[in-house]
Amino acid sequence: MSLRLQPVYVATGSGDTESLLVFADDFLVAVLVRLSDDHQEAVGMWFLEAGFGPVDDPCPPNFSDLDTAQNWIEERLAHAA
Amino acid sequence: MPPASDQNPTAILLRKLESIAILTDGERQAVASLPMRVQSLGARQDILREGDESRHCCLILEGWACRYKLLSAGKRQIFSFHIVGDVPNLQSLHIPDADHNIATLTKARIGYIPHDSLRALTTNHPSVGALLWRDTLIEAAIFRAWMVGMGRRSAFEQIAHLFCEMYLKMQAVGLAEGYRCPMPITQADLADALGLTPVHINRVLKDMRGRAMITLKSDMLVLEAWNELIRVSEFDPTYLHLEARAAG
Repeated sequence: MSLRLQPVYVATGSGDTESLLVFADDFLVAVLVRLSDDHQEAVGMWFLEAGFGPVDDPCPPNFSDLDTAQNWIEERLAHAA
Repeated sequence: MPPASDQNPTAILLRKLESIAILTDGERQAVASLPMRVQSLGARQDILREGDESRHCCLILEGWACRYKLLSAGKRQIFSFHIVGDVPNLQSLHIPDADHNIATLTKARIGYIPHDSLRALTTNHPSVGALLWRDTLIEAAIFRAWMVGMGRRSAFEQIAHLFCEMYLKMQAVGLAEGYRCPMPITQADLADALGLTPVHINRVLKDMRGRAMITLKSDMLVLEAWNELIRVSEFDPTYLHLEARAAG
């Protein structure tokens, strides 16, 4: 399975706007938001703003980079398959 | 009022009990004569672990503590925050096997009161027993308020509600006044208590600061817009059943 990323801006009501829609086989599975400098030590990390289906998580994590985020999402989808 | 650390341990318990009810002289003397072993603990140390059997109730003499449960992968849910005067395992008097953990959040001093002594106190002074029961009922009311928050309030409303609650609890035992109170807990603690993420907590706090509703610096919270915080979070202090508010 390959993920496709599409840049968007998300209105989070904060300085965190730079975002990516994450598609798997044309289905939207997650929205990742890059944390702005509002977040001190977490700045630049990617936050799982929303996850759908198996990518949903009650404790949405931060990822240090996009590869880590994609691996995590792929693992979730693979386990559900 | 002297700082909590300068008071003798039973005076701290008396101040807490008198924040929710009026005691007679006899009851005051009986509470004041409770034996207590005092221990100093560092921040983030367990006071009681799930599965432990308690023979003492733990009175917080200094610092902050919380009750929590750990899930797999290190996920933590905090059930309640506790301040000076609280006895977070009062329930152990009747259900001694702990079904959750209790830990310090900051450096703390804990007073351990033997169950036998508390039982004797409640046998000889049934009205003190009723008062301890009242305290656990108020705690249950606070749990209900948190449940409403986690289930039905936005992150902004939840945090505003918690700040109002903590301020009034601290004010009732002389730890806060003038809409200023200590808030020595981290954003991760707040997130684990409110079922949110540190990202959401940080966004809301920034938003509240931006709207001049709060100041939060050096572990001191100032509620700059009390009426607005109450309005936004639909905060009604009735559930805290504080004696001073009821009387005043």
